[in-house]
Amino acid sequence: MSSFNLDVYMPVLILIAFAVVMVVGVLVAGILIRPQNPEELKLSPYECGEEPVGPAWSNFNIRFYVTALVFIIFDVEGALMFPVAAVFQKFNKIGQGGVLFGTLFLFVAILVVGIVYCWKKGDLDWVRSYQVANDDTSKKEVN
Amino acid sequence: MNSSIVSFLSEMTNFEFTSLHAFIIFGIACFLMVNVSALIGGLGTYAERKISADLQMRQGPNRVGPFGILQFLADGVKLLLKEIIIPTQADKVLFLISPLLCLAGVFATLAVLPISSGLILTDLNIGILYVLGVSSLVGVGIFLGGYSSNSKWSMLGGMRGAAQIISYEVPVTLCIISIVLMAGGLSMTTLVNEQGGLPHQWYILHNPFAFIGFFVFFIGILAESNRAPFDLPEAESELVSGYHTEYSGMAFSFFALAEYIEVFVLCGISATLYLGGYKVPFELGSGELINSTLGGPEFIGKGIGQLLQLGAFFTKTFLLYYVVIWIRWTLPRLRVDQLVSLCWKYLTPISIINLIGIAAWEWIFKGQSIFNLIASLLHSSGGGGH
Amino acid sequence: MFIDIMFILSALLTLGGAFGVVASKNIMHACIYLLGSLFGVAGLYATLGADFLAAMQLVVYAGGIIILMLFAIMLTGGHKEAVNKFGLDKIPSMGSVKTFLIGSFSSLIIGSVVLKIIASIINSHDGSGKLPEFSSSVEKIGTLLVTDHVLSFEISSVLLLGALVGAAVISRPRKQ
Repeated sequence: MSSFNLDVYMPVLILIAFAVVMVVGVLVAGILIRPQNPEELKLSPYECGEEPVGPAWSNFNIRFYVTALVFIIFDVEGALMFPVAAVFQKFNKIGQGGVLFGTLFLFVAILVVGIVYCWKKGDLDWVRSYQVANDDTSKKEVN
Repeated sequence: MNSSIVSFLSEMTNFEFTSLHAFIIFGIACFLMVNVSALIGGLGTYAERKISADLQMRQGPNRVGPFGILQFLADGVKLLLKEIIIPTQADKVLFLISPLLCLAGVFATLAVLPISSGLILTDLNIGILYVLGVSSLVGVGIFLGGYSSNSKWSMLGGMRGAAQIISYEVPVTLCIISIVLMAGGLSMTTLVNEQGGLPHQWYILHNPFAFIGFFVFFIGILAESNRAPFDLPEAESELVSGYHTEYSGMAFSFFALAEYIEVFVLCGISATLYLGGYKVPFELGSGELINSTLGGPEFIGKGIGQLLQLGAFFTKTFLLYYVVIWIRWTLPRLRVDQLVSLCWKYLTPISIINLIGIAAWEWIFKGQSIFNLIASLLHSSGGGGH
Repeated sequence: MFIDIMFILSALLTLGGAFGVVASKNIMHACIYLLGSLFGVAGLYATLGADFLAAMQLVVYAGGIIILMLFAIMLTGGHKEAVNKFGLDKIPSMGSVKTFLIGSFSSLIIGSVVLKIIASIINSHDGSGKLPEFSSSVEKIGTLLVTDHVLSFEISSVLLLGALVGAAVISRPRKQ
């Protein structure tokens, strides 16, 4: 294929290779010049001078997981909107801008329904659902 | 088809490069680019300290070199000589891989940074999407840095960092889609070439929605690069140092370097998207005007044009860089719930409205900017009067 | 030349990552191998000229899905004894080495025969057998999305709406 040249991806590989060489090189070559005096107290995780209690990995709030889930939904939405946005001007020039605007508007409007629903139900709040999860009785006091 | 530094050089010298030549040129150009960006990252730490000192009426670093400008080199030597402490029970492999992921993600974005019309490393068709894609490595790197340290502070910082980066990617992506809609293409040079050199031809002043969009985008990139007031992943007052609490020596400095280069790259991209990128007023960048007035060989005019474009790009980028540092030392840090509600309740709805608004504007006004509309309105009313 | 290098690198990354996912006992390491594998797949897409698909692979999978998986792993609470029970050393219980050899050889032969037939059908159907112009795959996808496939474009929005509401509902605390 003459019209498609993969050479344009060369810098990507070269730059990533540079990053790898830089990190590995400095960390490996650094062994020669940097001190290595490990001792038990130095290697313990920092906990403001106290003895570390328990493992660091504990159960995390499900909000983090839901944030990632919602992000993927918007990511896929973006994936579908990018090509449409890229051709918008082409259609606009031949007088079809209204059609594309309608398509895009409908697409976004359906998703906005979901955002409005989540907003009304309080799912966009970080604190409230946390309180409800902790203590069901505190819900009345908060509201 | 795709413009890149190789096709630019080939055009300048009228020489057809083979793949091997291209590889060598790309290698040299990437080496220069990495070094320049590392230098900018290093000077960024110096600028940060000097500007913060200025804002707080202090002196800042002033011992190493003139005005302390070599401070970052001294810091680098110091960090190189420091022991790298890997905590017990840490995941050693991931502990050392996570700075690499951060640095690789940031370096890879340099490939499409359009510093001038000729000196863009490679102009991928999907330029801006590519930036979004590879910069997601930074989020993974920050999370793994927090996870692998086996320290409670690091873990909290890493979780917060990853959640914050992906949350704020939503408004940033929507802003980028609205700019792509105006420009009609995803490659970086398309995005720049649809704008002009003078401020009223930039996308920020194209229509009112894009004006709001710039601020949404800028807030978004502040959060994406973990800069204050969104530096929750490394909040000193609550998380000691966040995801890099357990890192020392060069392992730490890679995180810092990645952060400063990322700020530079993101400032450059916001300059590209909204502020006209490398465009120079009156088409001076193409070098034709210079050639016709000065005479002389063609490449001199082109070279001067490229230099002017470089100047325009770096001026805009460094102004934004200054604003980023200025914001850091002015605003207090947000709480987690404020951070989340700012993203989901303000920025995302605003950017959705912006997207629809820009689509409507482009449809109704046939892609004309607000200044064109006012000018044509004045012209027609003036013409009607006579 | 470079296309070969890029293909080999991507394929090695994909296969190596996939092998690491099943061979690794540490679930966090498996997730990072998966990241490598997904990057390799993006590289394969780029090699084939599907640049938009490659970028989307990076944005959605490497950026979104991996973080989602990492968060899901964090939800488990990190028991040190909770290692991967389905590691590579457990596979022999599913069959002996002979079974694997016979299975992989037969799938290789059947796969190559089927692929050969499909390729010949495609080539005879297309006549020229040429690949389409790649330089603007984004615009092609966009044009198709708003002309021929506009209904699926809008319906996918409904699907995303369902996913959004579902994500919100599962995150709510259960009423006792």
